Amino acid sequence: MNLFRSEEHIRSWLGGRTPGATLPISKLAELAFAWWSDRLSADWQPHTRDQNQAILTRLGLTGEFWRLP
Amino acid sequence: MDSQDIDLRNITYQLFTEFGRAPSATEIVQATGLSTDAVRSGWRRLHEAHALVLDATTAEIRMANPFSAVPTRYRVAAAGKSWYGNCAWDAIGICAALHCDGRIDTICPDCHEPLTLNVRSRQVDRPELQFHCLVSAAHWWMTSSLPEAR
Repeated sequence: MNLFRSEEHIRSWLGGRTPGATLPISKLAELAFAWWSDRLSADWQPHTRDQNQAILTRLGLTGEFWRLP
Repeated sequence: MDSQDIDLRNITYQLFTEFGRAPSATEIVQATGLSTDAVRSGWRRLHEAHALVLDATTAEIRMANPFSAVPTRYRVAAAGKSWYGNCAWDAIGICAALHCDGRIDTICPDCHEPLTLNVRSRQVDRPELQFHCLVSAAHWWMTSSLPEAR
């Protein structure tokens, strides 16, 4: 779960490995704020698997790669 | 996860944000008046519930996501303090959790060039940067392995 200068740098870093998922950093920022914004709330409750899956789906992160177990 | 464990979890996070590092079990005992056994058994239940991650050797805090208790390549400065994020997602997540702007210093894992980005009003000022997640959600949801390797 790393940041790279460009997609070219991701390809170089992967070498022959199978790629995972690449997102523009703007999408990562959306994801981070949706995922973590309540983390320090006094009334925090653990997210359920379905709540987290809904965050991914709302941001268009769908398919087997983004499916939580 | 009962209300006492949530209270323990919340004070752990509160001290993590105040200190800029993970609180020790001793510091939680001092802050709460709980016994050491109560803190350690509570942390263990929170670990098993994926609410935080304990170090396998010391049983101290290793991760209280998005915060890392050990140095990583993701250093986050915000609100006059700094922390380490477990990964790129978590680094921005620290700004999200704190509800404030921040600065992230990291390096490109490929060329090792330093990268600095600023989070301002939920936007990042380096739109050319790309995020790569190597493993699927089924993997990272279940594992507590070091996120930088993912």
